[in-house]
Amino acid sequence: MDIRTLKDRLFESAEKEGFESCEIYYQSGSSFTVSIYKGNIEKYQSSENGGFCFRGLYKGNMGYYFSEALDIDVDKAVKTAKENAEVITIKDREFIYKGDKKYPSVNVYNAALEDVRAEQKIQTALSIERYANEYDSRITVNRSMVTSGDSYVYICNTEGLEVSEKGNHILAYVEVMAKDGEDTREKGEIWIGTDISGLNEKELAERACKKALSALGAKSIAGGTLKTVIENETFADILSCFLNSFIAENVQKGFSLLKDKKGKQIASDIVTITDDPLMEGGYATTAFDSEGVASHRKTIVEKGILKTYLYNLKSANADGVKSTGNGFKGSFRATVSTAPTNFYIEKGNKSREEAISGIEYGVYINDVAGLHSGTNSISGDLSLAAEGFLIENGSITRSVDQITIAGNFYEILKNIDTVCSDLKFNSSAIGSPTVVINGIEVSGEQ
Amino acid sequence: MLNEKTVQAVLTAAVSTGAEFAEVFAENNCRNNIGITNGVVERANSGTDRGCGIRIINRERVIYVYTNNMAYDNLIRIAREGAAAIKGDTQHNITVFNRLEGSNAHPVVIMPDTVEKKRIVDFLMRGHSRAMAYDSLITQTGLSYMDSVQDVLIANTEGLWAEDKRVRTRISVSAVASNESEKQTGYFGPGALQGFEFCENMDIEAIADEAARCAVTMLKADNCPGGKMPVVMDNGFGGVIFHEACGHGLEAAAISKKASVFTDKIGEMIASEKVTAIDDGTIPNQWGSINIDDEGTPARRNVLIEKGVLKTYMTDRYNGGIIGMAPSGNSRRESYKLVPVSRMTNTYIAAGTDKKEDIIADTEYGLYAKYMGGGSVNPASGDFNFAVSEAYIIRNGKICEPVRGATLIGKGSLVLKSIDRVSDNLALAEGMCGASSGSIPVCVGQPMLRVQNITVGGRG
Repeated sequence: MDIRTLKDRLFESAEKEGFESCEIYYQSGSSFTVSIYKGNIEKYQSSENGGFCFRGLYKGNMGYYFSEALDIDVDKAVKTAKENAEVITIKDREFIYKGDKKYPSVNVYNAALEDVRAEQKIQTALSIERYANEYDSRITVNRSMVTSGDSYVYICNTEGLEVSEKGNHILAYVEVMAKDGEDTREKGEIWIGTDISGLNEKELAERACKKALSALGAKSIAGGTLKTVIENETFADILSCFLNSFIAENVQKGFSLLKDKKGKQIASDIVTITDDPLMEGGYATTAFDSEGVASHRKTIVEKGILKTYLYNLKSANADGVKSTGNGFKGSFRATVSTAPTNFYIEKGNKSREEAISGIEYGVYINDVAGLHSGTNSISGDLSLAAEGFLIENGSITRSVDQITIAGNFYEILKNIDTVCSDLKFNSSAIGSPTVVINGIEVSGEQ
Repeated sequence: MLNEKTVQAVLTAAVSTGAEFAEVFAENNCRNNIGITNGVVERANSGTDRGCGIRIINRERVIYVYTNNMAYDNLIRIAREGAAAIKGDTQHNITVFNRLEGSNAHPVVIMPDTVEKKRIVDFLMRGHSRAMAYDSLITQTGLSYMDSVQDVLIANTEGLWAEDKRVRTRISVSAVASNESEKQTGYFGPGALQGFEFCENMDIEAIADEAARCAVTMLKADNCPGGKMPVVMDNGFGGVIFHEACGHGLEAAAISKKASVFTDKIGEMIASEKVTAIDDGTIPNQWGSINIDDEGTPARRNVLIEKGVLKTYMTDRYNGGIIGMAPSGNSRRESYKLVPVSRMTNTYIAAGTDKKEDIIADTEYGLYAKYMGGGSVNPASGDFNFAVSEAYIIRNGKICEPVRGATLIGKGSLVLKSIDRVSDNLALAEGMCGASSGSIPVCVGQPMLRVQNITVGGRG
């Protein structure tokens, strides 16, 4: 059964069951991955996958059912969705959206990528591994891989919405290990794009090698409250852990300390945060969200002042505002929640070197571990194993590990002293420039 | 799911270019989940995942293709597509399958699909009411329920045909305590390889009380002081330290790449003689248990470390092959979308002979970690970090004031050697473990134990 036939049958059955309105969200895609280890193909994967979510309003409540199989018992699926609707007691209602008049056009599909054969992707992964091996004798390559994928989303409902979007991407990742005696350090670097000619294999390999080699010989330092530089991608990763507090749903439920902070100073006045689903080349670029709401760029924090939360249709209705177009699902299986798109701290003027040169004694952090366990997204408390370098008299003097940095995210936002010009996104489309924090608790050897 | 004829044809297509081995893993997974926030049912979802993965191995090369289009022609097409990446010379004759017979060691009384949703909601609401009533500082609760009935079929070119049904049920209870400026959360997530009887037999009120107590205690706590000190870790989820810092390093996937500090260490003393560690996938109805692993090998009880001496690794077929070890019943995957690798099941440090009270009384100054949070480890270096979700300072042999924000950092190999006390109160705790073959149910566990000296990160 194809998806449009299935849609018609589901809608028909739902009407008989007494659903007021309903929707189908279908997602499909294929992907290819090749992973190289010691010159050989270690992993070679290809897949095609898809599934749908049916949801409908029954007596004002939304009921859900999902399936990867399309040849399902349609009436049973609709009945299960109805049972799910019947136990819902939340008062804020979910909506089946009638659609926007106009949708922006975004550039997320590159037809030429379809012509890149498996063999070329294998060669790319091989040559990244070769460049890394050639860089230094202390380097071994754990993994060099290339992944490509395409995706298709189709949303159609009984309120008149019918939208679809096709996208594709290619990604290269290399993970190397630097070894000097018993001292081993693993680091990885990633590249994501839609055009394989934009990938510089040598540069990617060398970046990973440099990162791993520079960490060799790291030792702990004495603790204290230190001026701390956090590298762009690392700060983006930390920011990712606290995004939940910007989501209106969490604010409304009391799970965010940003409650009642709209219009107030929540960060240093050099911090501006943007969520831009229309960004050219962004990893989360899209013309509409999972509810079919048209995308637009918005400022979340302007010069330290919180301007808006991220909304989907339900949370926007509860606050009497318009959806910001951030109603996304993790996959077709999930119910609609809220998520950022390309969410980033706007860059400043200083280069990283300039920022470091102003620090008499401090640390430069370029890697943290334990993000999923060492952060409390509600309280903002964080305590992370960290590594990087020691800064003395305005320059980097040696590598550092076995330390923890601890603090509170909301205090850190206010204590940002410098925002550099090197904006970089992590693979979850969260971006930050390198930042300087005025004092973080660092603990290490005593 | 798939009949013998189809599987036979798919395997034949998969080895048509001479691969040494091919395997079909087909799966049908029906799930339900319900989420309640602050006593309001916000989420109820149901559905089915279904698909098939084909793995083709020739020497060091592993090809994996998967789809959820289970039509015969499509399966043959993707099997051929995978085979195209192999040039081998092995001949196969796949005519007969040997059905792996074995009884189900994990009986289910109430199948999830027979349970009315209303009954589940009523059960969770009991936990909500109890947590709210615990203390006026409790301002929010979150409760959730999930069940999953996963039917799997595994067949390979060596003639194996194995099927299994895995019925799992899990709930989570979290309570948030807040004052004007701060919030702290207490959380528990019990689960089992069982049906709804797991909920019926559960004292959800006691769990709600404990989550609320933990949140309130931590809200009133001061920041944990940093530095090196002895740490006493209590039983149950305290075992996450062994799971993260040592367990992952004993998986063949890390050993075969020599990416673990425990590579080539079998027979050596890698831990203090107080430490015996076991991975046991056979414990009846335990959350991390399985009848067979995802390559069709029956689950086993494997002693990993005996009195400090490394005895064995946890293996899967491919990585075990590289290091010359047979599969140990540890090959697991989240779904048909992933290549199975060696993973843990229920992994724990075995009970010792010390008494809980004595361990505390013998500690002049240190940290008592009552409940551990999650953590992660770098397998190459063994560097780990863990959050402690409920901690106290030990002073003069007594548990004193609660402290929060503590993390433990160190190296697995060093910590194993500096465990100097192991008590007799072994308990297991449920969790989800994420790695290359996805997120899978596991148990961690240990009795109360003491680590002589470990770096504690904190803000106090």
